[in-house]
Amino acid sequence: MEYKVVMPVLSDTMDKGKLVKWYVSEGQYVNEGDKIAEVESDKATMDIQTFKSGIVKKLLVKESDEVPVKSVIAIIDTEAKKIKSEKESSKEQISDSNERNKKESAEIKTQNSTLNTQSPSTHPIFHPSTHKPLIPSTLPKGSASPAAKKLAGEYNIDIEKLQKNGSLPIPAHEEDINEFILKRYFTPAALKLLKEYKIDENEFKLDHKITKIEVLEYIKENNIPKITPLTPNQKAVIKTVENAITKPTYFIFDEIEVTKKEGIKLTALLIKALANAMQESPLTRSIIKDDIILTYPASNISIAVSRDEGLYMCVIKNAEEKNLEEINEWLKTIKTKRLSIEDLSGSTFGISNLGMFNIERFNALINDKDAGIAAFGSLTQGKIKVTFTLDHRILNGVEGAKFINNFKKEIKNV
Amino acid sequence: MLYREALNKAIDECMAEDESVIILGEDVGRYGGSYRVSEGLFSKYGEKRVIDTPIAELSIVGNSVGMAIAGLRPIAEIMTENFSLLAMDPVINHAAKLRYMSGGKITMPLVVRMPGGVSRQLAAQHSESYENLFTSTPGLIVLSASNATYAYHALKWAIKSNDPVIFLEHELLYPMEMEFKEIENFDPFKAEVVKEGKDLTIITYLKMRYDVLEAEKELSKAGIDAEIIDLNSLRPLDIETIAKSIKKTKKCVIVEEDHKTGGMGAEVVSQIMENCFYDLDAPVLRIAGEDVPIPYNRKLELSTIPTPDKIVSKILDWKAQNGI
Repeated sequence: MEYKVVMPVLSDTMDKGKLVKWYVSEGQYVNEGDKIAEVESDKATMDIQTFKSGIVKKLLVKESDEVPVKSVIAIIDTEAKKIKSEKESSKEQISDSNERNKKESAEIKTQNSTLNTQSPSTHPIFHPSTHKPLIPSTLPKGSASPAAKKLAGEYNIDIEKLQKNGSLPIPAHEEDINEFILKRYFTPAALKLLKEYKIDENEFKLDHKITKIEVLEYIKENNIPKITPLTPNQKAVIKTVENAITKPTYFIFDEIEVTKKEGIKLTALLIKALANAMQESPLTRSIIKDDIILTYPASNISIAVSRDEGLYMCVIKNAEEKNLEEINEWLKTIKTKRLSIEDLSGSTFGISNLGMFNIERFNALINDKDAGIAAFGSLTQGKIKVTFTLDHRILNGVEGAKFINNFKKEIKNV
Repeated sequence: MLYREALNKAIDECMAEDESVIILGEDVGRYGGSYRVSEGLFSKYGEKRVIDTPIAELSIVGNSVGMAIAGLRPIAEIMTENFSLLAMDPVINHAAKLRYMSGGKITMPLVVRMPGGVSRQLAAQHSESYENLFTSTPGLIVLSASNATYAYHALKWAIKSNDPVIFLEHELLYPMEMEFKEIENFDPFKAEVVKEGKDLTIITYLKMRYDVLEAEKELSKAGIDAEIIDLNSLRPLDIETIAKSIKKTKKCVIVEEDHKTGGMGAEVVSQIMENCFYDLDAPVLRIAGEDVPIPYNRKLELSTIPTPDKIVSKILDWKAQNGI
């Protein structure tokens, strides 16, 4: 016979009760009158007791859950007889065999062994507990691994039906069921957030459809960071700028006069003037390699270009031979074209322009092996503030100053 | 420490401690043992305690059983596991049963040590493993020592045991240099979790442990995080450690060198079915020796037993086949 324990009505106004604590667990024997749980009504907390003896077959409510009054919270099997607990019986077994061993050693005193000998039969491995593997109470039909069926049973998932309509593969594995459970309780947008933020689905109570809004609330409440791995470009930029700060550099601050030309980008003018000035200062066309200096004939200039996917130092080759229109065209295409290694290497000097963002003055970090970089601010009343960052290993102050004077001359002529 | 030195240390210490401990076998005395396990013991303890026997396995183990009944603690050495077949009567009919048949009045403090498995070109009659014969005999304890630490502690434990222990070694392990550490509260029946992992459980023992460890490197490159368990004790079997691991990984592979049919792995699978069925997400994979006599030719010999390459490819095939 099954005896059902229900949530008691503790007051006139009580319609729900909260199960605060179980005093018993499944499989435990209880006597009539034993306290089995503590419950909380809208007014008070009190213990409830069982009116029949038997074995607790099932606890239907989890601790701190609220359930309506008179709903069944536990089932007690009143026909089950009390059996000895595992501990008690194994204790007896061990003491039995100890007893036997003592007797034995008394009988076999003929042995002259001086070793601290042992009888392995007292080892617990020879006395397996009566514990049997737990057989799940409900197992769905369908073709699936035992682990998948066990999990599906816990969530009342009908594997057979889902395999018929193609929602689950045949045979289904645990991973498939897990995925199905996630889809059942989370909207696609919510699932995407879980992945992006690496949130464990068990952080949510799986008893309703969880939307993006609920996940976002959780993220906000717990201040969980979004995880974005660095892109290859970001890693490359980090490497370049970290390398840049190891160089012995110095700054030259100056101001140049520029006249804008119709249809030509300001940066194109700066590139052209710099390329011409570089022709007169061989060291700006040089890089250091181990214990030699390599001086190239071409004015190859690296330009800081901000593209959708990140910051790139794009290199314009032989800028001294290109006219303004060509440079202007290059600046337009480099923004969107597919970049090759050729587009990103071979420079000896750099340009960074933040003028269009209304920055008055700034200084830049030297790119790769370049001898220096010129950082341009905004054009105000025909003037631009410029900061040169120069690698002192390649250019000394005097050479730097001469180069900048040449540049100032050239910018007037382009 | 060399594997064989660990065994020697265990025997030496027990012999020094207790005069009733003696060893006997073919070439264990003056020659120092076919695999040098008993090296130095003859000169230390003399011919009465380190006994060179005729080439007669029935007599080696038969005499040992008699010595054990009379109160000595004999350690019998069988040169190769194949030869133990000649000693099966004293092992199974006497050693395993006398304590039971005497109502507990007779104890059997006997250890029978023997190396088995495929070595290098010793051919069909010197390359087999009979784990299945020993582990299916009630009354015997069967330990397999894959490493110096376990070999030392387990052999010492076996010598002190009042019940008969079959102590399995492997011919290729003797000259291997291994890590050694002293263990307090040593339990001979506990399986060792050699490496923890979450994706699948690989159960193995004896020399295959090293092939599995080698294979694991490749598996790990393929993104598979395997847990490796060395059984240590074959009878009784530490199903608790196995069950705990399978509960976590849900998948299990058994790697053994012995022939597949009716081998040790078959018993392990059965116990897994009885204890862990509802935790399994795929059928258990058995990687074992082929069901053929071991060939002499080295290439053919290797083709009949699991190797690291084969272990990797069989696990990958099994994963693909089962969609896991």
